[in-house]
Amino acid sequence: MAAIELEGLTKDYGEVLANDGVTFDVERGEIFGYLGPNGAGKTTTIRTLLGFISPTAGSAQLLGRDITDEGDLLEAKRRLGYLPDSPAFDETATGREILDLHASIKGDERSGELLELFQPPLDRLVREYSRGNVQKLGLVTTFMHDPDLVILDEPTSGLDPLLQQRFAKFIRAERERGLTVFFSSHILSEVRKLCDRVGVIRNGRLVTVEPVESLLDRSGKFVRLHAAESIPTRALEIDGVHGLESERGAGSSAGSSDGTEYAFTFTGDINTLLERLREYRLLDCTIEEAPLEEVFMRFYGDEETDAGSAAGDRVPAGTGAADDGVGGDGDV
Amino acid sequence: MFELTRYDGRHRVRGGIYLSIGLSLLAAMVIWVYPSFEAEVDLDQLLAAYPEPVLQVMGVQTMASLGGFLSFELYTFGWIILLGLYLAYATAGAIADDVDRGRMDVLLSMPISRSRVVAERFAAMTVPIVGANVLPPIVVYVGARLIDHPLAAADVLAVHLLSIPYLFACAGIGLLASVVFDRAAIAQRVALGVTFALFLSESLLSGTDAEAVGAIAPMRYYDPNAVLLEGTYDLAGAGVLVAMTLGLLIAAQLWFSRSDIP
Repeated sequence: MAAIELEGLTKDYGEVLANDGVTFDVERGEIFGYLGPNGAGKTTTIRTLLGFISPTAGSAQLLGRDITDEGDLLEAKRRLGYLPDSPAFDETATGREILDLHASIKGDERSGELLELFQPPLDRLVREYSRGNVQKLGLVTTFMHDPDLVILDEPTSGLDPLLQQRFAKFIRAERERGLTVFFSSHILSEVRKLCDRVGVIRNGRLVTVEPVESLLDRSGKFVRLHAAESIPTRALEIDGVHGLESERGAGSSAGSSDGTEYAFTFTGDINTLLERLREYRLLDCTIEEAPLEEVFMRFYGDEETDAGSAAGDRVPAGTGAADDGVGGDGDV
Repeated sequence: MFELTRYDGRHRVRGGIYLSIGLSLLAAMVIWVYPSFEAEVDLDQLLAAYPEPVLQVMGVQTMASLGGFLSFELYTFGWIILLGLYLAYATAGAIADDVDRGRMDVLLSMPISRSRVVAERFAAMTVPIVGANVLPPIVVYVGARLIDHPLAAADVLAVHLLSIPYLFACAGIGLLASVVFDRAAIAQRVALGVTFALFLSESLLSGTDAEAVGAIAPMRYYDPNAVLLEGTYDLAGAGVLVAMTLGLLIAAQLWFSRSDIP
């Protein structure tokens, strides 16, 4: 039994189709990254899973429990930790009072060690907390009852780099102990560091689910060339070159010589490329893993038209209409 | 069970104490002015000078006894209007404020059902409702003796005890507004507006053909005059208020359980 199962999950707000037939499983013991730009529908999926909003169509299970049955879902929530994208706590209470309330409702197995790790200022009023401190308190409340599954919506936003690192280390250690993690992000480096598998959502539709390595393999390399003299662009017109830009800016007329610096993403056979470049004298050449933002662009840049036709006259989530409708935070 | 009630209740204790002190001061002031008022003003003439609707709205029956005087100066004004509006307003924030500020997601991610959240939050309103009625009856009873217009202890106790179901019903109006509107500011304004409209409909329409409209107003079932002047305790009215409160609570639970949290 998977930790999370979604089957055709759909949330239709009328104006916005926030989730459109989203189907995937999160296996027990894995770290699953849910990727998409702001407004793609990540938060909608998560809030539907938690029963805050009811699906228009489709079904889902958390730890084998049906999310549309409140009693069933409550059973699942006993073993679930959740950190929303911008967690909020009673401003008139101290962090300690918040922890006491959480402990009284869901239990407290390990707040001591979590407090040592994340160190929110417990004796201050939440009103005086910085965003980072609220996030730290949120992390403690998410993990304090030692859940089997945690759902984290943009967990590292608001954390400084040191804490992000500490968080990543903590998550990996928890996975070793058998924890299942489902987290959403639009920060790709974070996903790459942590995830076993990745689901990519765009305009409310799941684009792909795959192991993070294969996403990286498909993403190709980012190539930067500095040639002694200009290379004709047509010489670089080989399979697997995407988004070729030269020093004088993109879009200059094809075939002419375009200066001496080139940058492009390359998904083809690296030997073909090197073969081709041998005839030119290079001053510098870097070939590195493509930034995941580029991979992202590939997913989001290509099929611009098909979602529009599928959704008919409605505007898919993530485009302008998301602003005036539901959600408020832009992330519906 | 009741973890949330305990938490909320603790956070309402201070407000409850302030409320009790403030209302006690109001009670002390009303009692303190009564002897000079009685001595220097021709009360019947004063009553006759007021237009009938004003007397009706303020629940004035007589000023010729301390009981009648307290009944409108303290209980109609302080309890039926001020406290009633305050509780409708305060309870209107109970759910909507959390939704508004994004705190509801954290709360509902815990193993606690939506109807339990509504019930526990509502139950915490017991603190200000009972708190407001702790100190003032003592002030009223002792104050009345000090100015030599003693009131029956049972009547003073009854006028406060019977106000409790009334105040819960007002809080119930706020609770329903709190789940229907997800913006706290709107829920609070609606709760205030509805409660005040019910008060006016009950007091202005009584004695007219449209009197039946006032039957849905909680104010109809709590009458300080009857307690302080005649010593009659309207237990059936209290029963209606309890039923009203439960009805509002259940309606709020059903509504909140079925709606999306925005």
